[in-house]
Amino acid sequence: MMRRTTTLALAMMLVIGATQLSAHDNFRIIGTLMKHESSKIDVKKREGNTVTIMLDKQTQITRDKKKVAASELRAGQSLVVDAYGDTEDDSLAIEIRIVPPIQAGRN
Amino acid sequence: MAVQASQAASTPQHVPSARTLVKASVVALAVAGLLLVTIVFPAEYGIDPLGTGEALGLSALSGVGAVAESIPPPQGTKLAPVPEGPYALYPAEYKYDAREFTLGPYEYVEFKYHLEQGATMLFSWAADGDVMHDFHGDPDGAPSSAAQSYDTRVRRRADGTFSAPFSGIHGWYWENPGGETITVRMTTAGFYASAHEFRFDGTRYPRTVRALDTIPVTDEEKETP
Repeated sequence: MMRRTTTLALAMMLVIGATQLSAHDNFRIIGTLMKHESSKIDVKKREGNTVTIMLDKQTQITRDKKKVAASELRAGQSLVVDAYGDTEDDSLAIEIRIVPPIQAGRN
Repeated sequence: MAVQASQAASTPQHVPSARTLVKASVVALAVAGLLLVTIVFPAEYGIDPLGTGEALGLSALSGVGAVAESIPPPQGTKLAPVPEGPYALYPAEYKYDAREFTLGPYEYVEFKYHLEQGATMLFSWAADGDVMHDFHGDPDGAPSSAAQSYDTRVRRRADGTFSAPFSGIHGWYWENPGGETITVRMTTAGFYASAHEFRFDGTRYPRTVRALDTIPVTDEEKETP
């Protein structure tokens, strides 16, 4: 009985674990920085929704093609974020570019 | 009921020995470690020391060394050229594709066509502003690191012919480098079997390529006896 239960539990763990694995994609998120914390940023896209993107030590932050410190990130800036993950809201920023202000909506 | 409860309470519980607990913990840790190395690492991080990720197709999930754009080669007859001296014959007619699209500030898009090795394509595209452009190809079944660039530079237009150096998906990446919207118009014709569009937001779409009989012949072009 114990052996059967253990086998079942292990099988369930494998099934649940497998559903957590999904393909990673590249995303470009373009919008306005709403909030910056040490390990994440909230960016409001031109479409109106806000996505949270994780940062790590490898995340490069640039302005005019020059590296800048994370402390340069300020709410209200226009950003172009190249991220990698399962979805936009579950992604890690590879590069964040601070760009001149972008008009809301498409030009 | 009271008797049963009393019996249950008085039945001695089997308490596993410390030795059994340690043994179970070691086994659990070993199984967890094995799953970590054989499944989680290859699928999530592309780390595949035992080759299980490659064997189970999990490496593609990581995106590291993933098969280029995850587009399988099209099924059916391969549109491969059969050289006949100065010309080549193909097992089917060529296809046609035309598109006009806009790139908002900092947006990018890719159009890729599947061509067999040696198959040819004609192309013309023009943009109303400078675009960062990369004409490149990804071999069938190869990791994305195997992609080859044919032409990478800022351009406004290009007109040319292309002969595929290998079987795979070939096409253009266009990126708007600035804050103004740019319109791009492109036309291709060639012996491609399928086409795909990849957008900056991670979405991808198969594109329907047009057969020649979808191109209308005007009344002036119809020959009358």
